Amino acid sequence: MRSEQEVNRVIEQYADTVRRICMIHLKNYADTEDIFQTVFLKYTLSSVLFESEEHEKAWLIRVTINTCKDFLKSFFHNHTTSLEELIKQPAELSQEHRDLLEAVLSLPVKYREIIYLHYYEGYTAPQISRILGKNVNTIYTLLTRSRQKLREKLEGDEYER
Amino acid sequence: MNMNDKLKEAFDGIKAEEALKESAKNFLLQKTKGYTKVRPANRWRLIPLAACFLLIFLGGWLYFTPTVTISIDINPSVELGVNRFNQIISVTGYNEDGVKLADSLDVKYTHYGKAIRQIMENDDVLSFLSNGEIIDISVIGSADGQSSKILSEIEACTAEEENAYCHYTDSQEVDAAHEAGLSYGKYRAFLELQALDPSITTEKVQNMTMREIRDLINTLSPQEEDSTPGEKENSQQENGHGYGKGKRNGNGQGKSSDK
Repeated sequence: MRSEQEVNRVIEQYADTVRRICMIHLKNYADTEDIFQTVFLKYTLSSVLFESEEHEKAWLIRVTINTCKDFLKSFFHNHTTSLEELIKQPAELSQEHRDLLEAVLSLPVKYREIIYLHYYEGYTAPQISRILGKNVNTIYTLLTRSRQKLREKLEGDEYER
Repeated sequence: MNMNDKLKEAFDGIKAEEALKESAKNFLLQKTKGYTKVRPANRWRLIPLAACFLLIFLGGWLYFTPTVTISIDINPSVELGVNRFNQIISVTGYNEDGVKLADSLDVKYTHYGKAIRQIMENDDVLSFLSNGEIIDISVIGSADGQSSKILSEIEACTAEEENAYCHYTDSQEVDAAHEAGLSYGKYRAFLELQALDPSITTEKVQNMTMREIRDLINTLSPQEEDSTPGEKENSQQENGHGYGKGKRNGNGQGKSSDK
C-alpha cells in the first residue's frame, strides 16, 4: 500500500485529469465522486512501480477510463440524467468553450475519448492504442472520424445561429 | 485560433473541485484506516486458490498412493504398485532381469488384471516358465476387499500355470524387503532360507531364480519334510496361500501323497 503523502501528491497532480475523463464519460457529479474514490483507492492499493511520471499518468488515465466504463456498465447506474448537467462549472467557462465542450460531449463516447487523449493530452495514435487496448489502425480511423464529426457539429451550430 | 487550441483551452477550463479532492482523500483515509490496513480482499481471494490446490493434492494423493503391491518373482523380480482405483501406478524391477522386464512392459496406468495377463504372456516369462521355473506372486496390502479381489483375479489368471504360486500378506515386512533391495516374494523366500542357512546374503539371493531358492531351501530342510518337494509345491498351488509355511508344518500333504 502507498503512503498518505504519495497518495495526496497524486490526487493534487492528477485530479484535473481524472475530472476531465469523468466529464467525458459520466453524466452527473455524484458519479464523478464515486469514480474519484475508486480510482484513487485503486492507486493506493496497487503495487505497480512507475518508471516515470508519464508512466504514472498513463496508468491513471487507463484506470480512470476503465473504471468509468465499468461504472456505466453496472446495473445500478442511472441513465436518466440529461445533457444539461454535463458541465458543472459555468462560471469559469466562456460561452465559446462551453459550446465546444458540448459539441464534444454530444459525440459517441468512443470519439470523445479519442478527442480528449489526442487533442488535449497530446498522445499519439500508438500511445492511445496502448491506453485503450485497441488496434492502432482503429485509432487512426477513430481520429479521422472524430475530427470530421466534431467539425460537422461545430459548423452545424454556426449555421443555426 | 484553430480547433485544437480551442479544445485545449476548453478542457483546461475543467478543473477538479476542491470538494471532490477532499472527499476522495477522506474516503481513502477511512477505507485504509489511516493508511495502516493491508489490502482487505487479499485473504479471501486466496481461499478458492487454496481449495483448488487442496483438491489437486488430494486427487493426486488418492491416485498415486499404492494401496496394494503385487510382487512377481521368477528370476526377474518385479513389483507392481496398485492404487485404490485398481490402476498400476508403478512398475519396479528389483534385479537386473527384473529391470529389463519392467522396461519391456507397458502396464503403467492400466488395470492390474490386464497387467498380470500381459506379464503372463510376456515372451521372457513364458520361456522361464517352460523351463520349469517357479512364478511367485504375492499380493501385499491391507486386509480389505481390494487385496482379496486382486488375489482371486490373479489366481484365476494363473490357474493354468502349474508352477505359479499366489499368496496374500498384510505384512509390513515389505519395507524391510525394499531396504534389502529385494522384492517381497523373494524376501520371504530369503528369510526362509536364512533360517536354514544364516550365511546367505541378500546379494546372493537377488540373482537366483525362485526355483533355485526353492530347491536350496528344500535341500537344506530337515530330511523328513523334504521327501517330495516338487509335488508338494504343486499341491500347494491349489490352496494358494503360504506355501513356505506350509512346507514346514506339512500342509497339503494329503494331496501330495496321493500323487
